[in-house]
Amino acid sequence: MPVQNRQVSFKSIRYARYIIPVLFSIFFVWSVISTGISINDLINGYPNLADFIGCMFPPAWDVFIPLLYPALETIQMAFLGTVFAVILSVPVALLAASNISPSKPVKVFARGIIATTRTIPDIAFALIFVSAVGLGPFPGILALSIHSVGMLGKLYAEAIEEIDPGPVEAVEAVGASKLQAIYYAVIPQVTPSFVATTLYRFDTNVRSSIVLGLVGAGGIGFELIMAMRLFRYHEMSTILIIIFIVVMFAEWASNYIRVHVIGEEVLK
Amino acid sequence: MLTVTHLSKKLPDGKQLLRDINFSVERGEFVAILGLSGTGKTILLRCLNGLTIPDGGEVILNSNGDPLRITGSNSSRMREIRQQTGMIFQNFNLVKRRSVIENVMIGKLGKIGTFQSIFRKFSNEDIESGHRALERVGISDLSHRRAGTLSGGEQQRVAIARSIIQDPALLLADEPVANLDPTASEFVMEHLRSISIDNNISTLAVLHQPELARKYATRILGVRDCIIVYDGSANISDNDFKTIYGSTYNASAE
Repeated sequence: MPVQNRQVSFKSIRYARYIIPVLFSIFFVWSVISTGISINDLINGYPNLADFIGCMFPPAWDVFIPLLYPALETIQMAFLGTVFAVILSVPVALLAASNISPSKPVKVFARGIIATTRTIPDIAFALIFVSAVGLGPFPGILALSIHSVGMLGKLYAEAIEEIDPGPVEAVEAVGASKLQAIYYAVIPQVTPSFVATTLYRFDTNVRSSIVLGLVGAGGIGFELIMAMRLFRYHEMSTILIIIFIVVMFAEWASNYIRVHVIGEEVLK
Repeated sequence: MLTVTHLSKKLPDGKQLLRDINFSVERGEFVAILGLSGTGKTILLRCLNGLTIPDGGEVILNSNGDPLRITGSNSSRMREIRQQTGMIFQNFNLVKRRSVIENVMIGKLGKIGTFQSIFRKFSNEDIESGHRALERVGISDLSHRRAGTLSGGEQQRVAIARSIIQDPALLLADEPVANLDPTASEFVMEHLRSISIDNNISTLAVLHQPELARKYATRILGVRDCIIVYDGSANISDNDFKTIYGSTYNASAE
């Protein structure tokens, strides 16, 4: 009864037009009340906010140069975290892609790894690793490497699933092994999207590694939380300026590589 | 050299594609497989190198010494069989982002260990044979171009060079000229015929142009309604064409 089915779905869409805005409004109001959003508090708190910002000026320029070292450490953390994540993600993605995966249980297992590492926040990993291996950039690198496997593995696997199966079949038809087919026909097809995904992840990891510093995982984020705890507000503003520079630099660098190094290749 | 007996294949939805197919091919024959679209010609070809697993029947390849049974082979046995079976595809199936010569070298992968090939250790001798194969199909000047930048006819010639260095006993060509203009088609068919003769390769080509079959093949297999309805000389009569394509087929309209 296709005609009747169509009528039913048409009706349900018509109801949805009214139900969705109503549900949205109810949840919005409920959330505002239960989270305690209050314009009064913001107005009453304004002097504190102004006071705080006032304390931050002028920035302490004498610590600018010494703080470049932790800033570099933040970039190094993000860099190593991304490199290790790539090494871990490529095999996981190959096992998770339905067109390459050797069997269903293996695929489910690989997708399980991807889902778990993606859903557990990197800051949770960082807290675990800080308590395991101590303060410093190392637990941060571990946290970034493992959390990034989720996102990289997912996007890599999607790229693998979108390849043209023809060349893979052609390689297998000459009597090549599965690994040879992957190396000669799958990898060349996915390289541009792998590189683009990885650069984007590096960019994201730079931002994350600043936040991870707040829980003790080294870098400029650690300096930020220390300055705040020691009430060194002038230093804090210097750190925020440095963070701005670091994030802009990471964005510019990954974009530059994307456009000037692989840009031409992606178009072909 | 190739013997097919009682071969049958159904789609998972139950649609019959091949029913009790029997034929054999001798060394050096050039067999054109003709038939309407959707009659299972491509599936028949794919059953011959195990890209598709048939439901029943037997395929035996007997090129040098031991007969190799394709049906029911394990994967290492299957690799051995595929090494002796070249395949040309309608869409060429080159790795577009790699150079022409790298694509040609893929033909050697079956004979090289996985570990060795990952580190790109093709011997100088192998690379030399790759260049000679490109020379043979007339595109040696393109060897360092990216495969994706070549025209369709050139890409199909790269695929032929890939099969030449594979040095197969049997060559399967699945609509090799379906995506090519008439001039490029003639070129590709010429090359297929000449390597079949020079290297003593048995060729099975699925074709959609009866006039090309007449011109290049030594024998024609006609497939209709899952079975072989014509098996004979390439010098085929219009009446026989009607057996393959149905009574409305008009040879002069080609």
